[in-house]
Amino acid sequence: MKSSAIFFEKSLTARHSVFIVSASLNKGLFFDGSMPLHPAVKELENMIADKERYRKFLQEWLRYSWRWAREDKYKLVFRIQASILHAIREKLDSMGFVEVLPPIIGPVTDPGIRGAKQVTFDFYGHEYKVMSSAILYKQYMAASLGKIYFVSPNVRLEPLDSIYTGRHLVEFFQVDLEIYNATYHDAMKVAEELFCYVVKYVKDVHGKELEEKLNRSLPDFKPPFPRYTYKDAHKILCTELNCKFEYGTEIPWECEKVLSIHHDTPIFVTDYPRGARGFYDREDPTRPGILLDFDMLYPEGFGEAISGAEREYEPAKVIQRMRETGEDPNKYRWYLEMLKELYPLKTAGFGIGVERFTRYICGLRAVWESRPYPKVAGIAPTP
Amino acid sequence: MLFSLVGLHLRLLGKLRLLTGAKEFIKDYPVAEIARRALKGRDAIYPFGTLMEYGTAVLGSTVTLPRYPRFPSLDTTIILLPPAFTPRRLDKMVDLLREPTFEDVNLECELGGFKVSMPVVAGTMGSTAIASKTSIPIAKACAKMGIIYGIGENVATVRGYSKRLTRGHPCFKERLMTYLTNIDKYGGVIIQQSVEDAYDELWNKVYSDKDVEPYLDEGRIGFEIKIGQGAKPGLGGIIKIPREQIERLKQKYLIEDTGKEKYVTRYSVPGTYTEEILRGMIRNMRTNYPRVRIWIKLGPFKDAMKVIKIAFEEGAHAVVIDGKEGGTAMAPCVAMQHLGYPTLVSLAFIRRARILGIDNKLSLLPAGRLYDGSHVVKSLALGASGIYMGRPLVISALVKGEQGVVNYLESVKVETQMLISALGKYDLHEVEPDDVASLDLNIARALEIKWAFELPQQDI
Repeated sequence: MKSSAIFFEKSLTARHSVFIVSASLNKGLFFDGSMPLHPAVKELENMIADKERYRKFLQEWLRYSWRWAREDKYKLVFRIQASILHAIREKLDSMGFVEVLPPIIGPVTDPGIRGAKQVTFDFYGHEYKVMSSAILYKQYMAASLGKIYFVSPNVRLEPLDSIYTGRHLVEFFQVDLEIYNATYHDAMKVAEELFCYVVKYVKDVHGKELEEKLNRSLPDFKPPFPRYTYKDAHKILCTELNCKFEYGTEIPWECEKVLSIHHDTPIFVTDYPRGARGFYDREDPTRPGILLDFDMLYPEGFGEAISGAEREYEPAKVIQRMRETGEDPNKYRWYLEMLKELYPLKTAGFGIGVERFTRYICGLRAVWESRPYPKVAGIAPTP
Repeated sequence: MLFSLVGLHLRLLGKLRLLTGAKEFIKDYPVAEIARRALKGRDAIYPFGTLMEYGTAVLGSTVTLPRYPRFPSLDTTIILLPPAFTPRRLDKMVDLLREPTFEDVNLECELGGFKVSMPVVAGTMGSTAIASKTSIPIAKACAKMGIIYGIGENVATVRGYSKRLTRGHPCFKERLMTYLTNIDKYGGVIIQQSVEDAYDELWNKVYSDKDVEPYLDEGRIGFEIKIGQGAKPGLGGIIKIPREQIERLKQKYLIEDTGKEKYVTRYSVPGTYTEEILRGMIRNMRTNYPRVRIWIKLGPFKDAMKVIKIAFEEGAHAVVIDGKEGGTAMAPCVAMQHLGYPTLVSLAFIRRARILGIDNKLSLLPAGRLYDGSHVVKSLALGASGIYMGRPLVISALVKGEQGVVNYLESVKVETQMLISALGKYDLHEVEPDDVASLDLNIARALEIKWAFELPQQDI
């Protein structure tokens, strides 16, 4: 790991042209060869090295969550979580967003959830789903009110190997926002501002406690954050950071981590290739195969924070993309009818996971520490 | 009077015609031959029977065909070319320090991302009554024999995922777990998802299933995209279901109910594909199910080469091309007779793809009336990675259950080994286009192999 950082330093100056925001990069990169992987992230890595032991630990952790939830450390974590939500609402409200009550169930939900299963139940003879995310339901409220957000509970029956990521809960909350007539660049700007505001707010309110009780100090962040296109990220990872993966597939977690630990600010990865994302991310009409979307990654190895995009609003395109998941578009009939009636329904937005944000701000090992009633794939019963 | 006589006559003719289904299948398909194998296993490779045992029989190749074929097949057109001089046999002898036998032929290989004991795949059979009833013995036998086992579309939706929804029929997970809990170091399972199964997120369900998890980790699970099948390319699955199941299934399927009969016809849609959709689908699958092998099942489609190209570029593991002889439980007669090309053309596509540089990273398999060792070896010689079959396993299971399937597969295995050793080779990877020839000049040209009558011109 050490050598790759040094190598990166050497090769960087010659290659800045590949970066979209090369100016902020130099500032953002660590050149001293030390890896700013957060100790809690490292601790999680050590824990999962012994899978059996980790699993046992996790079983206990989830089963008796009332025990640790009353510890001083977690009292503070949950207070900070409340402050994070407060700050998010304050900031978004000040930017003209309206908080809208999210749907909890519906005939369809977000299918773009990487191999996770949706919760299906019988709704008076119809199959209904619990929201895996309310993404499909945001758009018409954005068209109605201009800028909206949900603080939305989501359920995803994740694959069983997700317990080792530290980032996947079966039940979690996300702040899901959508802006009418906006681009993904607009959405990224909101993301940056929101992130910086919340970090500053938490520092102002809890700064001392954070350092004393959680040993966590957060820097002052300033937007804009570095932006890499997927293509450049792929190139840098494969050629300079020695983290190879096939073009066109999702960036593996190990590689995302390598990329993130070379920065001390969050970074954006934009313009993912088609196929790696849900049908709702809009394909750039001028660059076929490239989506107008982005992920924001936390620094220090905490991983993915935000996923966002401009929405595909051409019904024919959406139908074609739906087929890529092998489904019958008829299942999404209301959504397609809505797209036709409200044509062109141009919106952009993103979702930010509350537990992941809490984990990052408090410097926790995993999201199972940043939720009072954590539930992860395959482990039951729990409170 | 005259009219009523004519009417009676016509009704009689019609009734007789009703018998055709079973009669023609038994007459045309080598049912008896496969049943014999299921009963006798390895011994079935010899033509002895109760009336003509060894010592009383005098044997030789037949030159006449019992029926005139509608189109050329591996049996009627392609022959294997054994040599007199066998340098590879000498190599093998140096290895073994003895004369090698056919049992020294290695059939182990990588097939569609799985390690297998022999290059034969039990294709994805669906929810039809006969496939359903024989699925458990077939699963066990395939696991024991170390070959890939398929589970076709609509099984989970019609028969239930983890609980039986129809009496006497195993549910999806019974099939799956019967196979998985019986495998050793070889094998893998491939699972189809129809549009209707996708409604219930079958693949997601499998991917987050606790019981399947260890096998996902070992890389024993594959998902098969079904674009079509030989007997009814361009049409979705068709089965008859008992009337009482209509209520449960009508939300998802097109159901044709005349209101009179005990059974109603249930149609599954074929699913819409374009080059872009297929490409996107493979990418999605690689993202969503990174631990899964990706297979693609094609009917006899004219644009098969494009599918192969996309599969290759996007990193899928296997493409199966079902020729029109491919089996089915239910298909319209016109579809079986007129839609698509024969299996030999599927092989021509495979041969061409290999010439164009599609390497072994992508397994290519023909399907459709392939059932013996000669079919395996000829297919390998033409660039296939193995063969894909359904009906022989169903017939074997009907004849003698799990043991019948094991016996049948043993017979194919030993035939394959014998033929490869006769070619002077001891590993299936060594079989090459030069080992076959065509009796028909045009087909020789199309397949870019030798014409059997084109003899070497050089001086002696």
